[in-house]
Order: sequence, then structure tokens, then C-alpha cells
Amino acid sequence: MSAYLGNRLLIALFAPSAFFWCAGYVEAKSVIHVMHQGDPGWVKAYGDVAKRFEEANPDIDVEMIYAPHDAYNEKFSAAVMAKQLPDVMELDAPFLANYVWSGYLQPIKPLVDQDVLDDMTGSNIAQGTYPIDKDLYAIGLTDSSVVLYGNKKYLEAISARIPKSVDDAWTREEFEGYLEKLSKLEGVKWPIDTFRGYGIKTEWITYAYGPLLESAGCDLIDRKAWKATGTLDGDACVKALTMMQTWVKNGWVVPTSSGTNQFYAEGQPAALAMGGHWFYAEAAAAMKENIVVMPLPKIGEKGVSPNGTWIWGISATSENPEAAGKFLSFLLKDKEYRDYAKTQSAYPGLKSFAAESPLYSEGGPLAVAFEQASKTAVARPPHPAYPTITSAFMQAVDKIFNGGDAQEALTAAAKKIDQDIEDNAGYPPFDEQQ
Amino acid sequence: MSDLVLSQPAPLAIPRGNSKTGLRIVQTVCIFMIALVMISPLFMLLIASLKDDRFRILADMGSFRAFWVSDPTLSNYREIANFSGELAYGRYLFNSLVILVVTVVSGLIINSMAGFVLAWGSLRGKAILLALVVALYVIPQESIIMPLVVMMSRAGLTDTFAVQILPWVASPLYVFLFYQFFAQLPKELYEAAEMDGASAFRIYRSIFIPLSLPALATVSILMGIESWNQYLWPTLVTQTDYARPIAVAIATFFGQDSIYWDRAMAASVLMMIPVLILYLAFQRWFVSSFVGSAVKG
Repeated sequence: MSAYLGNRLLIALFAPSAFFWCAGYVEAKSVIHVMHQGDPGWVKAYGDVAKRFEEANPDIDVEMIYAPHDAYNEKFSAAVMAKQLPDVMELDAPFLANYVWSGYLQPIKPLVDQDVLDDMTGSNIAQGTYPIDKDLYAIGLTDSSVVLYGNKKYLEAISARIPKSVDDAWTREEFEGYLEKLSKLEGVKWPIDTFRGYGIKTEWITYAYGPLLESAGCDLIDRKAWKATGTLDGDACVKALTMMQTWVKNGWVVPTSSGTNQFYAEGQPAALAMGGHWFYAEAAAAMKENIVVMPLPKIGEKGVSPNGTWIWGISATSENPEAAGKFLSFLLKDKEYRDYAKTQSAYPGLKSFAAESPLYSEGGPLAVAFEQASKTAVARPPHPAYPTITSAFMQAVDKIFNGGDAQEALTAAAKKIDQDIEDNAGYPPFDEQQ
Repeated sequence: MSDLVLSQPAPLAIPRGNSKTGLRIVQTVCIFMIALVMISPLFMLLIASLKDDRFRILADMGSFRAFWVSDPTLSNYREIANFSGELAYGRYLFNSLVILVVTVVSGLIINSMAGFVLAWGSLRGKAILLALVVALYVIPQESIIMPLVVMMSRAGLTDTFAVQILPWVASPLYVFLFYQFFAQLPKELYEAAEMDGASAFRIYRSIFIPLSLPALATVSILMGIESWNQYLWPTLVTQTDYARPIAVAIATFFGQDSIYWDRAMAASVLMMIPVLILYLAFQRWFVSSFVGSAVKG
């Protein structure tokens, strides 16, 4: 009886302690929030990585927060206002400078595994680096580029030279000459699709047309003085955009209203397409062997191509930065995640991933696209005023393509950008950078 | 002379008959054209939802092939309707239905009560209150959305069903709509019931509500469509699958580099069905309410 009572007493004494011990254990579990965008395939891939990470790290819980691609900025603004920034978040590379300047991100070098950092391509480092402190704030498995896709049958019909590498890209004269020849070729309705159909609500115009301007010797902004007037509305930019306007006026470019499928739609009405690396999958599915991939043309002295995609950063307010860094390292090394990325023709941002991607390796159909990353890629202006820069530039291009005066539209855009910089007192310390 | 007079209407009658027939033909052609313009995108949506190759759908767009499917399949629907599929679209549909039903039912009760009090209640400053309700209507939802996000987040309601229902239950538009409807009902109805000893709530419940079917139908349809199509708000306040509605889920198909037209189309068709049922169920009252408003207006 006394033993029975003794047992009951022991249980009575230890049960609460055990309960509190367990509660303490549960509380000790860290939770990290990961905000991302993406289509169902990517959403599932990230979700699966989170599950595997939790299995490998039982002391960390991962809560995935999905935001639709088109409403990501709104979701991000809401998170900022509600002071609920996630620990890990995906961000569009050109917006990095704005986010770092606003204090939303923290450097990731001390948090991510060294072998992953060493694996980054030059272009990947460039897209994740903040120009003021030269520190790395974001990293990705992937990167991006734009190439010139050609309809083999049409190009052979006009005896066009097919460039084999970035070094022998078409010159402006060649490019415009081919556009003219293609415009007269039977079966070709439009010589080129520059994907005006993506509209001005996406980053497309700045991302894809910006490099053509840079190749012609101009830029969206002076990257030393951080002033748009004198650069964006300078002679080189006006001439470059007038050149593009002439293509539109000549009826060489697929209009916005015709969508984004004219390169491979029935009858293949567009002969060339200036498209992103992701366009290859859909175009090749319809065109099979009739597709050639070429580097972007050299409009001026040098060839220029775009880079940058959605990359991962760790928020400055994260309460578990170590766990966040651990998750990022896990994600970037995860085999299944990489395998899924390969099925999506993802453009490599890590050297080891490039080695695993036959699409981009030497002799692969997109090898030229990967070659551009090391030879011609130029990041979009890494400045906190980038949201204004891209919006003003896209509106100007839209006006010009719709028949507006190039000088007038670019001057208005340059003024708008400079006004934003002035309104923010030069975004210090960017104002001191020369 | 009289013969002449009698024979006069005859030749006039023939062209009148012809013009009437001609007018009918023109009317029919116009109606047919308008119907074609309205229906063709929906038909294209339906056809595309029966194709399982997203690249094919894209390639067919802009040609008559967009309106034809040679090997129809329900695979897109199967994938979407599956609760335990790649993504829980069945769950999202269920979430949307819950949000719709609760919003509409509670919205009908709250807005009609407010409208009734404004129309028949003995409230001080009623006119000012009414003016304020109308003034609130002109404030666009987008302008208050960010402060609302902060409020809801501080209230701890993020990622719940409540956060998608509570802010939209009371609406100045629907309060005003009910107010207008109730105010036009004969004063004698209210007074007779009052003399019989009925309370204000009893008068509202037993007399005014049964007479307000057209207004109830109109508000149900408008509120239902509004709730069903909410996109920005649930995007901002939902984090996980738990309470995410179908409109936000469909946006998943529009990715950074690719658009899954096949499944997006099937999900859109599924998304249309409940609203269509709601409209068909209340159509008679909905139309009569609009016709009534037009005549009264």
C-alpha cells in the first residue's frame, strides 16, 4: 500500500516536471518562415525540400509562405508594414539594392556554407552583391539570360550566317539586314518577336531591351554619378531606341496584341525571337529540330546580355539567422531540388549545377546562353532607385514603340528617375559614390 | 373616294410589316453577335481545359484551333479536384465556398439590419449616418488595404478564414441598397404591425425580409461574386493552404517563367461553376430587382 502511495507520489511529483520539460523542449524548436513564389512545380519542390530539411534537422520547423508571382511585391510590402518579414525570402535580383538600402536584408556569407559560396558563378555573385559594402546578400541555384532564337528553315532560306559562339554574334548591320530580308520572305509575317506581349507590368522590357541599349553604348543611368539625365536621354540611347522604333514602324516586330507564341504558333509567323532561356522549352516542344539558339546581336562595339533572376536572401529581422542560413545551404545542395530545376531548363547559377546541366554544357542547345553569363552579362543598375528606374524606362519604351518621340520620352524618364533620387537625398551613401 | 380612303392603309401596311421583320432580323443578328462575343472566351476556356498539353494550348491561341479539341481529356480536372494532389486545389475550392457562404449569409443579416434601422429606426442623426455610409462607398478598397493588413495582423487573424470574411461582411453599398429598398415599402405596413404590438425586430424579420427577396437576391449575387473573386486581399493575408481561396491558388499557375494554361483553364472553369449556380438560383429576383430599380429610378 505504502509502495503504491509512494509510486503515486512520485508520479505526482515528476509528471508536472516532465510536462514542463517537454514543453520546454517544444519551445526550444526554432521556426523559420520562408516566403517564395513560383508555379505549382516549384511550389511542390520547395515544399518537399522543407520536409527533407525538417527530417534532417528535427530542431527546426519550416513554414512555407507562398505569394503569387504577380502579387509578390504587394505581399512583400504588406509583410514589411505588418513587421512580419519572413526569415528567408525570394527576391528579384535587381531589387536587391533597394531592399538592402531599406534595411530588409542581412549579409549571408557568415550564414551559408562556404562550399556553396565558392560554387557561385561570377554572374550569381554579381546579382547578389550590394555595391556599397560589396557584401553578399542573396544567393540562388539559378540565373538567367536572353538569347536570339531562330527558325532554321527561314534562316537557311535567306542564307543567314548562324553564329556559333558569343564572339561571332551578329553585328547590327547583319541583324538589320536579316530582318529586312526576312520581312520579304514568304511565310514570315513578322521577322522578330521581342515579346512585347509580356507588357509593361513585368520586368521584361528593362531586362531584355536594356542590354541592347547598353550594347549600343548607353545605359539606364550613369553608374558612377547615379544620374539618369545625360545618359538615358543622351544621343546613344536616343539613337538606339529610335533604331528599335524603326523596327516596329517597319512592321518587323510582333505587336503586343499578338501574344507571345508567334515564333512557334501555327504557320510559325515570326522568324526570330528574342527570348529568355525559359522560352526554349516551349519553343522546342513545338518546333523540334527547326530551332537555332544564337547569342544576342552586337548593336555597338560590344555584346551585352542580361542576367539576374529570383534569388534567396535572409531578412535583417530574422530571429533565427543561423537556421535560415542552414536551410539555404540545404536547399542549394538538395539533389531532388536540382533535379527538378533541370527539368525546367533552369539556367545555372552554381558551377556544380552547370556541370550537371547538359542543356547548358558545351555542345548543349543552350550553351551559347551560358557562355553569355561569363562574357557579356551586365546586371541591371544596382541602386535603391531601381524600382523607379525600371518603371520610368518601361513607360518610355512603351511610348516610343507606340510612335512617341524618343528624345522626349527618354528625357521625361530621366527626369523622373533623377527626381526620385533627389527626393531621397541621393540615397546616401550612393550619393558619395563616384 | 371612300374606296380610295379604304385602300390607302393597305400599301402602307406591307412596308411596315417588312420593316418589323427587318428590325427583328437586325435585332436577332445583334443579339447573336453580342452573345458570340460574350460566350466565345468562355467556350475557349472550356475547350482549353480539355487539352493536356500547355504548349499546344499556347500554340493554338489566336487561331480557330483554340475552339477545337480532337482528343479531349479530363486529366486537368482530375488533378485539380484531387484533395491530395500536387497542390490541394480541392481544398482551395472548399475554402472559397466556406468564405463565400459565411460572408454572404452574415452579410445579408448585417447589411439588411443596418438598412432597416436607417430606413425605419428612430435614430438621431440618421441623415448624417446615411450620408457617411454613402461617403464610405466612394473610398476604394485598395486605399485602405495596407492599414487593414496591419490591423488584422495585430489582431492575430493572419492566415485564418475570419480575416477573409470579417472586413467584407458590412458594406456601405449593400447597406444603402437595403435602405433604399426598405424605404420604398409602404409606411402602413410598418405602422399596422407596430399597432399589433410587433417589435422592430419582428417587423424586420416577419414582414420586411419576406418582402425583400429581390433585394436579398441582388445582394447575394453581388456579394457572392465579390467574395468569390477576391484576389489581392487573400494574397496579402493568407500564408498557407489552410485558408487560401481558389482565386489565389489559380495564380500559382502563372509562374515566373512558365504559365500552366491547361490546369489554369480547368481551375477557372471549376471556379466559375458555384457563381453560375448562385446566379441561376437567384436570377429571377436579381433581374426583377434591377428592373424595379430602373422603373423607380
